[in-house]
Amino acid sequence: MSAQNPLELIQARNLLSSVSTPGMLVSGPGDVIFYNEAASALLGQRFEETGTLSAQDWVQTFGPFDDDGEPIPLERQPLTLALRANRPGHAVYVIRSAGGEERRIEASGVPIIGKDGFTGALILFWAAVEAEA
Amino acid sequence: MKVKIWGARGSVPAPGPETTRYGGNTSCVQITLDDGTVIVLDAGTGIRSLGVGMPAPAGPLHILLTHLHLDHIQGLMFFAPAFRPETEIVIWGPASPEASLQDRIARYISAPLSPIDVRELPCTVSFKEAETTEWQIGSATIRAASVTHRGPTLGYHVQCDGSSVCYIPDHEPGLGGSLADLEDEWISGFDLARDSTLLLHDCQYTDGEYPDHLGWGHSPLSDALMFARRTAVERLMLFHHDPLHSDDFLDALCGESTARWEELGGRPEQVEFATERRETQLSARPAAADGARTGSG
Repeated sequence: MSAQNPLELIQARNLLSSVSTPGMLVSGPGDVIFYNEAASALLGQRFEETGTLSAQDWVQTFGPFDDDGEPIPLERQPLTLALRANRPGHAVYVIRSAGGEERRIEASGVPIIGKDGFTGALILFWAAVEAEA
Repeated sequence: MKVKIWGARGSVPAPGPETTRYGGNTSCVQITLDDGTVIVLDAGTGIRSLGVGMPAPAGPLHILLTHLHLDHIQGLMFFAPAFRPETEIVIWGPASPEASLQDRIARYISAPLSPIDVRELPCTVSFKEAETTEWQIGSATIRAASVTHRGPTLGYHVQCDGSSVCYIPDHEPGLGGSLADLEDEWISGFDLARDSTLLLHDCQYTDGEYPDHLGWGHSPLSDALMFARRTAVERLMLFHHDPLHSDDFLDALCGESTARWEELGGRPEQVEFATERRETQLSARPAAADGARTGSG
């Protein structure tokens, strides 16, 4: 059998494909399995170019980064920890686009829980409030 | 195995002189395995005709419900075997976090919608929420999977004697993305339908009608055809006809579907519109694939 994604993730991708808010979809194991066109503009690279990214590859490429410019390990990211605990989360951090431009953003994530339990998470990105001021 | 259509209409029964050839009864399909086991897919009004004169089965009679919209359960109350004490019926359907399958069906088979209650049926009836893994009914292997529709909805795959039927009567796999462009793993129902001998699939709307019904859970012709090509099924039977589509209208749509199917690389004899009382015998599918699948996943 092919590894068809659970219907909840398919539906979530449909939603992300239809909205103008940057967002991405993370699988149960933590891989970034989709991000939408609005997120592509933020990241400077289209999903069709990157394809699925492991969590490690995502962090190394796009961040988030700490004040010293070092990638923040997954186990230290509050949003990741919340999602792993089947809880929603929100975080403010710096990401870096493929072109090297750093942006301060806010990220809101919700776990996607299907009939078989946790199947992934949907994360939306917002320009950080202080960046807009 | 044999497949017989007892109802191919969607949404609501559509009896009348303009629907005599394709039929006006709602979804119901009978599968008879080579070992004599009978499996019934959905219990729309077509199941009433199936039940008339149906001999008592040797074992339990399995009814597999895709979902609980009325056009898929309305015939349950009028299924003659359910009123015979010697009959044992097992009803399978989708799970819901809101209530058990039995409780949700009982909302229909109870007052004020029905003169009798589920518990008053003379037959022995049990309810099973469909597994996400395979299970056996007679000599057939059954698989169920959630598919894109409104509310908890399943598609079924019945495999036996070297052939298989995939039944997804209510399905909108193209919602939110182009089926021609999506990778296999992002297409609802893909694994269920893949390489089936016969696919019975939703085709409620023409492409022109679809924009006014986006998100209602049904497919336009182009998506039904593309889904079938992507999943490389051997035969496609288009199903769940809109109640407004007359015989003459469906004849014309059938002609259009054949032409478009050929444009997609298929053979004209592979596609047809489901017709009430149509019976077809399935034989084992040849091992060689025709290379119809175009996805990358």
